[in-house]
Amino acid sequence: MILLTLTRTFKSGFQNFFRNGSLTVAAVSILTLALLIISVILVLSISANLGLKFIQDKIDIRVYFKSDVEETRIMAFRSEIQKYKEVKSADYVSKNKALDDFKAANAGKPDILKAIDAVDENPLLASVNIKAVNPEQYDIITKSVENSTFKDDIASINYQQYKLVIDRFNSTIKTIRKTGAFLFILFSLIAILITFNVIRMTIFNHGTEIEIMRLVGASNNFIRLPFVFEGVIYGCCAAVIAVILLFPIVKIVTPYIIGSAYVKVIEADFLRYLVFIFIAQLFVGTALGIISSLLAIRRYLKI
Amino acid sequence: MIEFKNVKKIYSGALNAVALDDVSFRIEKSEFVSFVGHSGAGKSTILKLIYAEEKPTSGEVLFNGENITKITSRNMPYHRRRIGTVFQDYKLLAKKTVFENVAFALEVSGHTNKEIQENVPQILDIVGLGNKAESYPHEISGGEKQRVAIARALVHRPALIIADEPTGNLDPISAWGIIQLLLKINSLGTTVILATHDKEIVNNIKKRVITLDQGRIIRDHSKGRYAI
Repeated sequence: MILLTLTRTFKSGFQNFFRNGSLTVAAVSILTLALLIISVILVLSISANLGLKFIQDKIDIRVYFKSDVEETRIMAFRSEIQKYKEVKSADYVSKNKALDDFKAANAGKPDILKAIDAVDENPLLASVNIKAVNPEQYDIITKSVENSTFKDDIASINYQQYKLVIDRFNSTIKTIRKTGAFLFILFSLIAILITFNVIRMTIFNHGTEIEIMRLVGASNNFIRLPFVFEGVIYGCCAAVIAVILLFPIVKIVTPYIIGSAYVKVIEADFLRYLVFIFIAQLFVGTALGIISSLLAIRRYLKI
Repeated sequence: MIEFKNVKKIYSGALNAVALDDVSFRIEKSEFVSFVGHSGAGKSTILKLIYAEEKPTSGEVLFNGENITKITSRNMPYHRRRIGTVFQDYKLLAKKTVFENVAFALEVSGHTNKEIQENVPQILDIVGLGNKAESYPHEISGGEKQRVAIARALVHRPALIIADEPTGNLDPISAWGIIQLLLKINSLGTTVILATHDKEIVNNIKKRVITLDQGRIIRDHSKGRYAI
């Protein structure tokens, strides 16, 4: 009985979907637009988070010591700084290690290597590389290093150049979330309104049929369900179209917002999130469809 | 089977038209009752109160002792399945065949395809349309369309058939065919309530006639004639 009702009403909702022609196109395209907006927002905020994490892993503070500072003095600084609870790690890089790293990094450039060899003394400075537990703590760590008893031994602290990138990511994520939520609510409302009207038209078109159903004693669910299914099918179609359109859109849009340097990293992770995004789209799409059809039924179907 | 107790019906609106004014009557099981009267006398309103399309402003409408106004919207479909309805404009679905139109009544109330395949041909034979099952409504005559509507009304095997001006669009010969079909259904034990303003038909039926005028019952004769 329940199964029969479900199959029969689904069939009838399916027929409505195909017979509505241009109305179907209108409903599906506006729902697709709403879903695209929510998924672009999702993708952008996921990518921005990924990008941020990627950069955060690379960030550290490099404290360079003047060339006449003793190694024991630097080690004392290191053990002092390791006591801070904000500090995750502090690695000592000696002058020789720094030189080796430099040579390795410029292995393909004989001019630079020659220039380095030409200088008698190792021109590079010893340093301590500090990583924070939380990227927001770099400011505090920098300040306490600047004000420590070791401040006269320090040649320079290298931190500022990363600060810009981090700030940029943080503000991008905030903007994406704010404008995204606003656009999503706006387009959801428009989508509900249009789908509501499409289903209202279907109800009007089926006036005689509904009247007869009532007269011959169709259960209320039997009268209601075709329109609910119609809404569900609109939502599912929109979700499928949206996920197909999503990939090229993300490819075009992301570099402008996040900066092209990180796109490669993001694309690799993006595919992993695609399934999650599709499920979210299906869920939101059918929810929007059901809400609109229930609204239309409440207003225009005397049951 | 049906009892109206001091039923009053006022259609609220600018005019507050009084459709029924203190109407009381009883209809027993297996009766054939004709309601006659001018347009607006209240015939259709009485029928609508029975199949619960309208609610009385005051008074009670009882169906097998049960107060119809107290039926919840959830249980309303089950009330409607006890009643078959036939109208002047047939109310057939143009895109469905004769068979599908009758089957529709069973589909919407959750009968299996097997039950539909068994019942619909039987009912179509009863109304004399066994050979028109695959025709569409526009391919058959008015009288035949009304027979399809009657078949659809009968397919739930209801205790009561309500026919509101079923012959209004038909020529006299087809009309009388429809009335004979209703009489045949009545003779098999189904209660029939007919609303009409066709004098000749009423006089030929020779069954109970209730005459209405301006929302009041002015005559109720068991072997009635049309007289206003």
